[in-house]
This record gives sequence, C-alpha cells and structure tokens, in this order.
Amino acid sequence: MSHGTDTGPGLAAPALRAKNPLVAALQRGVQAVNALVLRVSMVVLILTSCVLTYSVVTRYFLKSATDWQDEVSVFLLVGATFMTTAHVQSLRGHVGIEALVGLLPAAVNRVRAAVVDCISALFCLFFTWKSWALFFEAWTEGQTTSSSFGAPLWIPYALMTIGMGLLTLQLMLQSLVHLTGGEVRAAADLAKEEK
Amino acid sequence: MSELGIGLAYGAATLLVMFSGMPIAFALGTVAVAFMYLFMPASSLDTVAQNVYEEMASITLLSIPLFILKGSAIGRSRAGKDLYSAIHAWLHKVPGGLGIANVFACALFAAMAGSSPATCSAIGSAGIPEMRRRGYSPGFAAGIIAAGGTLGILLPPSIVMILYAVAAEQSLGRLFLAGIGPGLLMVLLFAGYAVVRARKEYRQALEIYQQGGPKSAYLDEEHFSLAQKVEMLPRVLPFLLLLLGVMVALYGGLATPSETAGLGGLLALGLVALVYGLWRPRDLAPILAGTLKESTMLMLIIGMSLLYSYVMSHLHISQGAAQWIVGMQLSKWVLLAVVLLMVIVLGFFLPPVSIILMTAPIILPPLKAAGFDLIWFGVVMTIVMEMGLIHPPVGLNIFVIKNVAPDIPLKDVIWGVMPFVALMFLAVLLLCLFPGIATLLPTLVMGAK
Repeated sequence: MSHGTDTGPGLAAPALRAKNPLVAALQRGVQAVNALVLRVSMVVLILTSCVLTYSVVTRYFLKSATDWQDEVSVFLLVGATFMTTAHVQSLRGHVGIEALVGLLPAAVNRVRAAVVDCISALFCLFFTWKSWALFFEAWTEGQTTSSSFGAPLWIPYALMTIGMGLLTLQLMLQSLVHLTGGEVRAAADLAKEEK
Repeated sequence: MSELGIGLAYGAATLLVMFSGMPIAFALGTVAVAFMYLFMPASSLDTVAQNVYEEMASITLLSIPLFILKGSAIGRSRAGKDLYSAIHAWLHKVPGGLGIANVFACALFAAMAGSSPATCSAIGSAGIPEMRRRGYSPGFAAGIIAAGGTLGILLPPSIVMILYAVAAEQSLGRLFLAGIGPGLLMVLLFAGYAVVRARKEYRQALEIYQQGGPKSAYLDEEHFSLAQKVEMLPRVLPFLLLLLGVMVALYGGLATPSETAGLGGLLALGLVALVYGLWRPRDLAPILAGTLKESTMLMLIIGMSLLYSYVMSHLHISQGAAQWIVGMQLSKWVLLAVVLLMVIVLGFFLPPVSIILMTAPIILPPLKAAGFDLIWFGVVMTIVMEMGLIHPPVGLNIFVIKNVAPDIPLKDVIWGVMPFVALMFLAVLLLCLFPGIATLLPTLVMGAK
C-alpha cells in the first residue's frame, strides 16, 4: 500500500510480453498509447502548476484576480488522472489488499487473478459507458460550469470517457494474457535490463 | 431487506471483494454499483460517472497531485542526504546527536516532501548506514527512520489531512496548523528516546571495552570543522526556504491550498534544477511519471471511495451505524477508544485515504455528538493511522526500510519500531489530556472557531 510519494520507478513499462503473438502485438499497441498519454500528462502536470502560480502572481503583484484558473486546473488534473489510469494499471500500480492472496496455491492464484481482472474490466466498461452518456449529454445540450467562466463540461467528461475506455482495454488485455497462457520475459527487454 | 441487513451485506461484500486482491478503487466501485443496482432506483445507475466526477472535481482534493509533485521532486534529488549530513555535522557533539539528527532530518524532509515512504527512503539511505557505522544497533537505527518517516502524514502539507478536511468538512488551514504542535511533540519524544537509547548503547559499549572486549564505533570521536559545517549549508538552505515560503504563502493569505500546492511543485522543480542540475527531460521524466503513478492511484481510490460513501449514505447505512453507535450510550472516552481501535484494525489492511473516506460518515457524527472537536480528532486519527505505517502486518515503512537496508533482519526492524509505536500511544494520551497541543496554534493564528 502506498501513502505518499512513490519511491519506485514510475516510467518503466512492464518487461513481460504475452505468450500469444496476437495478444503480444495488442499489448505493444496499448503500451505505445499509454506511453504517449503519459508524456502529455507530464506536461499537463507542469502546466497546472504554472496556471496556479500565475494566479497567485497576478493577484498579489498585479492586483488583478483571475476567475478561470481553478476550473482550468480541475479540468487539467481530472484529465491527467483519468488518462493515465491505464498506464498505472499496466504497471499494476492500483494497489489492492494482498494479505490473503499470497497464501493461495499458485494455480488457484492464477484463476483468482483472471477473475479479478475480468470483474474489474466489467466495472470499468460500465463506468466508461456512463461517462460516454454524460459526455454526449453535455455535448448535445451545451452544458457549461456554473461559474462566470462557463467552461464547457464536455471536455472533462470526454477525458474521463477516453481514460476509462483505455483502462477497460488495459484490463481486458490483462485478462486475455491470463487466458492465453500468461506472459514471458521478452528477449529485447532482457537485453535492455542486462545493459 | 432491512437497513441492518443491507448494511451487513454491504460490509461483507466489501470485505470479500477487497480480500480477493482486487485493486481498492475498483473494489469500492464494484460494490457500490452492485448495491445501487440491487437496492436503489434504476435511474441512480445513470449518475455513477457524474457522482465520481463531481466529488473529484474539488480544487482542494486536486491539490494532492501537486503536493505529490513537490514531494517527488525533492525525494528524487539528493536533498534528503544533504539535509541529513548538514544536521548531523551541526549536532554531532550533542549526546545521542546522530539519532537526533536523523529524527530532525526526517521531520524537516517530511514537511518538505509530505510523504512517509519518501522520507524513509531519502533519509534512511544515508542515515541508517551512518548510524550503523557509528555503532548503533541495526533495529534502533531502522526504528528511528521508520518512525521519523511517519511524520510525513502529520506535518503540513499532509495528503491524509487534506482528505480528512474534505470528508469532515473542516478548514484545511486550521487542520494543517493543528498538526504542527503534535508533530513537534512527536519529534521531541522520538529525539528524547533516541538520546536515552544511544546513551544506553554507549554505556554498554564502554563496559565491554573496559572489560577487554572489542572497541565499538560508539567510542570513536568524530570531528567536523566550522568550515565543513558551513560548507554544507548552501545546499540545504534553499529547501528550508521553500518550506518556509510555502507556509508563508498558505498562512499569510497569499495563496489558497491548491495554489500553494502548484507554487510549491513549481518551486521544488526549480530548486532541484538549480541545486542538483535536474532540468533535462530525462531527469524530470522519472519525477513526473512517479508523481502521476502515485497521484492517479490515490485519486481513483478517492473518487471511488466517495461513490462508496454516497451509496452508504443513500441506503442509510452510515446514518444507521452512527445511530447504533450513539445508541450504545458509551462514555465519551470509551467511544473514542472504540473508534481509534477500529482505525488501528483497519490500518492493518487499508491505506489511510480509504480509512478516512469510508469511515468518516459513520464515526464523525457520534464523535461530534459526544462533544469532540473534529479538528482535534483529525490530528489524533492521523497519529493513529501513522502507527499503521510502522506496525505489522502491513507497516509500509518497515518494508521501505527493508529496501534501504536489506541486511537488517525483519525481526530487528519490527522490534526496533515498537518503542516508537509506544511513544505514539503516549502522544495520543497527551493529546487527550492536553487538547491544546493541537488546538492552540489554529486558535492563535486563525481565531476561535
């Protein structure tokens, strides 16, 4: 379990590849998307810090209050959170209670992991569907936030939908890996690690 | 089904799904959606995504990723080691000074980084080898760092306190201030114990040496010239200024908590670039990726915990449980003891974020009805959850220490942290006897509630 700043590597992609070549190809594709999203989200993180700092500077030094920075920051951070959740799942970074899991025999544990991934994928699929409905409604009705800035709400809802969709895909992929015989260490990754 | 039956089923389903090893965020979401489907109007299922978004789109909650960014920038630089070396050089003549230096370094680093594991890792990687080189027993050295690291969730800016402020609808600024007094109290208790224990180990080493045994490193003299001491300051001062700057921005009325988080994150990135030359994309990428990994995991747990609490409240489970607790007519202090015991047990399995968001609707109304100040309780609850970071079976900091010093047996680490767990109990007791330790500073700075 984690309670604060991560002390491990956050950038590393998993060095395991699915045994099945088709699933492995799909895995590479999803990883490429996750890597791109991660890089964009890194920039978003710095951008949000800049927006909030700008707000303090303009208010304190230029005596001019801004009314948009909170909503922009919320949109940026909610977006970054949902968009990177698939990457975090690819690293198995969403923590769970593993106190009893370690006590199970290996074969039972494999079945448990597959079932858990399937149920998680179903939940995320449901959430993606509901996020899509929310986005569609906000888009067609032109919904905005209630502030004077009036930012369009379809933006965060769209990011939530895409992010949860990617997470669902990642979880389905992980379930598929279980069902198609698990993973092996890819030769290229091994060579990279040895260097 | 009766409210009691639904409540019991909700609890049982949560335990079952959580112990299956499913990630906490998905487990909470799955249970909440299942109970919405079974016991709430069908239309409520349409609001799942909106509920999660509306709860997460709070600017206070969204300061969490930026505070994590600040901690990650400082945690991944050499700042921890430099801070420790400087304090050690300045305190080495004080009896037990090395132990005190480690406690102080942990407290300062925790206040800058806001993270327990990062503090253990940064200070422990320099402090534990140095303490062992100077003759400190391995368990004692590990205990100091594991316990010192826990100050990260008590001293501001604490992520746990941000969540508590949201869940209990209390002022975050007031809560941050309330954590400072107890934080300093625990620094004093830890440092006091470090002195007593170091002197005991010193006497034992001296006795063995006088009886013709081997000479322990405890008995070696260490010397730092004034030039050496002064030389260490330039690397540490900018970070102390950052710490001070963040506090001034927050309490001087210059910035809101979320603006402080953004400013702190940007300044921390600027400082590690200036002081340690970490400015290239390849230097910044691990800091930013680590921040996203940690904050995304936390924010998803927070979003789903809030959905979980919403369902619990809609089905009257939290209200029923709170009424049941009130109906037991426990005395004020027994009620507090029962609640804290529950928090300790939950701390065996769950991270503090989930404990707060899942239990707040149940435990806070009875505590408020019993006359407890919820700001004061937030501090006490945080200390109790800190214990969960260093006691088995989970004890995250214990495992961080095992990572930093793998040759120290787990048994030694666990025995080493036990006196510090006792000191935390003592701190809770002192807070019960003298609540002003927590409430005085917020009252002085922000006035009475």
